[in-house]
Amino acid sequence: MRKVKLYIKLLGALLLLTLVLSGCSGGGDVAKEEPKVLRVSMALAEKEWEIMREYVFPPFEEANNVKIEAIQVEASDVPKKLEAMAKAGKMEIDIITQDNMALAPLVEKGLVEDLSEYRDRIPKEVLPSLIPVGEFNGKLYFMPYRPNVEITFYNEKKFKEAGLTPPRNWDELLEVAKAFKEKEGIGRVAIKGTLDGNTTCHLFDFIRSAGGDPLVLNDEGSVKAFTFLQKLYPYLSPVTKKADWNTMNQYLANETVYLGQNWPFGVSVIVQDGGKKEIKAYHGWRGPVKESHVLGGEVIGIPKGTPNKELALKFMEYLMSKEVQEILVSKLAWPSCRSDAYGQVEEWQQPYFAAVNKALAASEPRPNVTYWADVDKALNDAFKEIVIEGKPVKPTLDKYHNILEAAKKK
Amino acid sequence: MVTKQDSDLLAKVIKFLFWPMAILVMFFLLVPVYIMVKVSLSAPQDILTQHPPFLIHNFTWNHWLKVLKSGNLWLPFQKSFVVATITTVIAIMVAAPAAYVISRMPKKVRYTVILSLFFTRMFPEVGIALPIAVNFIKLNLLDTYTGLILAHLVKVLPFIAWILVGTFETIPEDLEQAAMVDGASRWTALTKVVFPISLSGIAVAAIFTWLESWNEFTYALYLTLSQRSLPLQTYYYVLRGDWFQSAAYSTILTIPVALVTFLLQRYLKSGYLSGAIKG
Amino acid sequence: MKILKTYRLEIIMLLPLVLYIIGFTFLPVMNTIFMSFQNPHTGAFPTFANYQYIFGRRDFNDAFWNTMIITGIGLTLEMTIGLVIALMLTKNFKGRGVFRSFLLIPMGVPTLVSAVTMTYIFNIHGYLNELLYRLHLIKIPVDWAGGGLKTLLMIVFADMWKVTPMVVLLLLAGLESIPGEVYEAASIDGASTWQTFRHVTLPLLKPSITMTLILRAIDAFRIFELPMVLAGKNTPVLSTYAYMEYNAYNNPYTSAAGSTILLVMILIFIFGYLFVSERNKEVI
Repeated sequence: MRKVKLYIKLLGALLLLTLVLSGCSGGGDVAKEEPKVLRVSMALAEKEWEIMREYVFPPFEEANNVKIEAIQVEASDVPKKLEAMAKAGKMEIDIITQDNMALAPLVEKGLVEDLSEYRDRIPKEVLPSLIPVGEFNGKLYFMPYRPNVEITFYNEKKFKEAGLTPPRNWDELLEVAKAFKEKEGIGRVAIKGTLDGNTTCHLFDFIRSAGGDPLVLNDEGSVKAFTFLQKLYPYLSPVTKKADWNTMNQYLANETVYLGQNWPFGVSVIVQDGGKKEIKAYHGWRGPVKESHVLGGEVIGIPKGTPNKELALKFMEYLMSKEVQEILVSKLAWPSCRSDAYGQVEEWQQPYFAAVNKALAASEPRPNVTYWADVDKALNDAFKEIVIEGKPVKPTLDKYHNILEAAKKK
Repeated sequence: MVTKQDSDLLAKVIKFLFWPMAILVMFFLLVPVYIMVKVSLSAPQDILTQHPPFLIHNFTWNHWLKVLKSGNLWLPFQKSFVVATITTVIAIMVAAPAAYVISRMPKKVRYTVILSLFFTRMFPEVGIALPIAVNFIKLNLLDTYTGLILAHLVKVLPFIAWILVGTFETIPEDLEQAAMVDGASRWTALTKVVFPISLSGIAVAAIFTWLESWNEFTYALYLTLSQRSLPLQTYYYVLRGDWFQSAAYSTILTIPVALVTFLLQRYLKSGYLSGAIKG
Repeated sequence: MKILKTYRLEIIMLLPLVLYIIGFTFLPVMNTIFMSFQNPHTGAFPTFANYQYIFGRRDFNDAFWNTMIITGIGLTLEMTIGLVIALMLTKNFKGRGVFRSFLLIPMGVPTLVSAVTMTYIFNIHGYLNELLYRLHLIKIPVDWAGGGLKTLLMIVFADMWKVTPMVVLLLLAGLESIPGEVYEAASIDGASTWQTFRHVTLPLLKPSITMTLILRAIDAFRIFELPMVLAGKNTPVLSTYAYMEYNAYNNPYTSAAGSTILLVMILIFIFGYLFVSERNKEVI
């Protein structure tokens, strides 16, 4: 029976500890009723949060007598969370900033407000090319706030050792990939081949820079792009199939990959945190017809059912203001969505910032179509069959062209 | 046909191989933990290289200090700890009486009941986490301890009930009948005789439940806005790319678990669990 | 009414658990199964369109076989090695307490963390390749995530690290509940070590093995984080397939169909196993 007593003591101690712990949480469970609280969701790294909390939020809080409750929600989790809240009839987020690659599900599921009537609140200094990103079927659901584009990272040391220069066109890309594979026995160039949105983005770049249209998928440019990728694939790094926006940074940092494209936030992860100063970046390569990058970045939306719509709209305008945009440029080296926002980025960041701006100049928005899920699937299936498994290009693309045509009519 | 002589051989082989095997198993158990600790204590150049060394060459506490100072440790720790503990206590209070009743059912019925309890665990979480989470959000439980506890109960109840059914099965029915002959009511017989005897089985079930709740991710994702639990905070570190801080964070949160299991392992021996298994 | 009265206490004791499970999980599960037979566009019921669609998908077929192979190899290895370790732990030896504590650590490491740690081992420039390189076994790093059997084995290994301790604990409990007299009797009859194991230990341990196997099978079929983190979507399993359909392609109906197929597979496995093991009862 000694053991029994011991257990009871143990349990008692545990309970006591629990009570003490929940005591000092001080009823953090409640207090959602406060009228002037604006709940904002963003997906940022720790350093970016610091800038937001220190420089961006306080002036708005003071001017409007609100408290901003900001929460971290990853782009892929935004639809999950909003859907759960919408189904429960309790929208607990007032405004979202969301990756523009992940907008379709929000619109399809009816989770965000139609902002068409507030179109005039977009300042006229905002670059007009950014606005279509937030439009679906002629309605405006999202407003621009942070344009972004993928840049090309490369390991300067390894390139020098191999006597190579970063590729400026497709031929050089193939040459570089071949050279590294021959030298080291393993591919050192990677594209993001996870067969999801990451890959879709790359495919858009390749097809468009060959003059093709990804939504047609069997035109001359698309055939060229897939033929090239099929030729390139054997020389790529094996991590290509695992490289996404997150892991690509790691592969670049630990020298698994010497050349790869990713979003500019990789700069702070690889160079600043990882101390890999030899990882440099440039805008990228051009295809047979032109250079093309998918215009990425983040947009602002308002979840349906929020009780603070008016305040959210105000915050939206604030995020697009010159004042905020200049903070974002100078402190985070984010390119601005306005033509009149300038800032001096820190010196070490300047070459990367220049690369972003140059790539941005060659960027094109992705079309927002209602059958986006089918496009995504068709592109990735085609990539798997043609590039990875080596099936003939034209007939396979014809097949997926027909699938897309059928999806369009649905 | 195996002869006695062969058996001597087998016994010898077992004796000979015992320690090498024990060491091998220990090695495999510890390697991943070692690597996690190593990454968290190494300077970046030790890890970000094509040929990572097996030992720490450039030691640093930096990543630990950053995590400890980040303010991301104490609140998530508190949330996970409180939620796991309360979940465990409630789960036992709900599951123990029911498990007792099930354990006294005829064998065929018992099997059916146990398996239907597990029915919900056979479904991938992606299919049901959303509708289950919606229920709790409707009850205004988003971002609260209560909401997460209720959701974790969904996950752990079948499990704990299964272990307890087995525990109670090993307790002979005569025992409680004897108590009842002595004039005790059935409820008293249960609380005074049956439950104390099965305390050790209950403890085992409690440990499993606690760990399950401590590690839970999917429901926490749906039911959290700002107050992140430990697994969610880890997920953030992993996704947002600071490899060293995520290793430091993981190591730090493994330490209490290692301590608790070390203290509790002595109670995990002998027949405590045995009952759990006699279908 | 009489039943209600006689079993009043039992009903009161059973009710909270049953209500909770039915209320919060049984209905959502049923609803999801219902959805899998619903037409995504018209809402018509019943239809097999969702199933037809996923059966026609290559990645679903890959996911199906990958799941089967991972579960098959995984369960076999986990049960065998788990049993060996459990048998070792029945012996009294110096350092048994330490051994047992080490054994429990993986159970406390969140799956996501263990998956990330495993990537450090299995990466192209991970510790496993580094070890092989230093032993001069390889010159060019092996791509463990490259697909095929080696990738599935990698996932199995990573999973084993996390779950074998649990198998050991459950089997150990079963082993220790076997009364010592049985072994004494066997030894008096002159049974060899092998004979004792085969004809005494194994039959008496069978209930433990059954329940451990069922519990493990349920989780092994649903394996999710490890394939996702270690191998990516090029090596799909059923859980990740259902996840992709829902989250990447926004189709809860086909996702539900995938989940339902997984449920059916688990049920077939459990009943198949129970059927076979019941029928062979007399043989052992």
